[in-house]
Amino acid sequence: MTGAVVDASEGADAMHSILLLPRNAAVAALIAYRTVISPLYGDVCRYYPSCSAYAMHAIAQHGAVIGSGLALRRISRCHPWAAGGVDDAPLKKNFKYSVTPRGFVVTARHRKG
Amino acid sequence: MDLLSIILWPLKWAVELILVGWHSLLSALGMPPADGLTWVLSIVGLVLVVRALLIPLFVKQIKNQRRMMEVAPQLKKIQDKYKGKKDQFSREAMSRETMELYKKTGTNPLGSCLPLLVQMPIFFALFSVLNDSQTGKSGVGPLNEALSEQFGSSSLFDLAPLHMSFSSAMNAAGGPQVGVMIVAAIMVVLMTASQFITQLQIVSKNISDETKASPMFKQQRILLYILPFVFLFSGFAFPLGVMFYWLVSNIWTMVQQFIIIRNMPMPGTEAAKEREERLARKGKLKPADGAAGDTLVIEEKKPAQRQQPVGKNRAKKAGAPKAQAPTGPAAPKSGGTAPTTPAPKAAPAAPTSPAAGSKPDASKAPKNNGK
Repeated sequence: MTGAVVDASEGADAMHSILLLPRNAAVAALIAYRTVISPLYGDVCRYYPSCSAYAMHAIAQHGAVIGSGLALRRISRCHPWAAGGVDDAPLKKNFKYSVTPRGFVVTARHRKG
Repeated sequence: MDLLSIILWPLKWAVELILVGWHSLLSALGMPPADGLTWVLSIVGLVLVVRALLIPLFVKQIKNQRRMMEVAPQLKKIQDKYKGKKDQFSREAMSRETMELYKKTGTNPLGSCLPLLVQMPIFFALFSVLNDSQTGKSGVGPLNEALSEQFGSSSLFDLAPLHMSFSSAMNAAGGPQVGVMIVAAIMVVLMTASQFITQLQIVSKNISDETKASPMFKQQRILLYILPFVFLFSGFAFPLGVMFYWLVSNIWTMVQQFIIIRNMPMPGTEAAKEREERLARKGKLKPADGAAGDTLVIEEKKPAQRQQPVGKNRAKKAGAPKAQAPTGPAAPKSGGTAPTTPAPKAAPAAPTSPAAGSKPDASKAPKNNGK
């Protein structure tokens, strides 16, 4: 009985991991960009966090599609006439995953165990 | 048509329009249309147009940098608050507060990535225009097949066709074309040199000491040594026409930077000091800006003890040297601590100064001036 419950949750975990794949792939790409390309032209963003950090956060919270949309909106906001300032990505209301220190998204259960 | 070429289409069109426009202008001025030089100068014209359009962005950025001086005290306060705290959370909080300050005061010194983003598609557009001309394809707009062919095969220094690159010259059908390779190598060296000089100008003169200590600056410094390798790689792969655009653009940046550093340096940097010195030499600097800092009007210390009233006879004796004090040895003494103190300021101070300075001369002075 209990074994079946564990199996079911493991199955759900596996499904979640697949669901999380696109956003983790996007996060990995952004990490690569931030370590290789971003330092090449230094600190230019008029906002905090910078556009790439915003994109990482947005994608981790909302997934690859909505997150990319948010990031694109942010990049279009970031131009020399913008006031700049602190501008965080919106948080998802019922965010059921957890985020590792590097920025990858894992299922909440993964974190506990 | 794939997505990228759809996005690039309008830019390619604009690039072609500018190129063909310059080309027909130069031809109208009497330059032979098929000559390599005419097309090379058209690329120079393209650079001029693009960079001139970007000038307002730089002007805005520089104005903001100048206004940074107004918020410097507040910025210092934030920096002091987080001094020595190197953990991630403090760093983050500091960045947040700094950004808030920039927003509140409207002095954001960062230019956003737009100037970079604008340049990149132009670059790719030129790349694809040259690439197409290599294969004999016409452009998307004003550059027709004949012009495209002419453009691609016109050569730089009568040696190297614009559409060729180091790698294509190396793998050319009839053996490696050494001339093209030499031209490409020279371009790489020139580009690296111009980039290096530009960066060095900024780094050595236009950066304040606080910025020099920041980790971001160290990162920038590393970039200075990575860039030559980027050029080496691109010089290998890119057509000479693209390289030439890049080179002219680099030279523009270098000159622009030189003018900016010379005429409107960041306050508090070496370049700013040099500018003040230059202006002071020409006598153009208003005393209010430059001299106010180092002119200290030394308040003459009032003697702690009340001065003894002097008898009529003694006053007569001492009177002569005292009046002489400003020009006598007493004047340099009171002015010694502040060389720029104007003489008239010292004059009224002298009579109230303790007589100690002038007393030893009392015996001497009457001899010269008494009669």
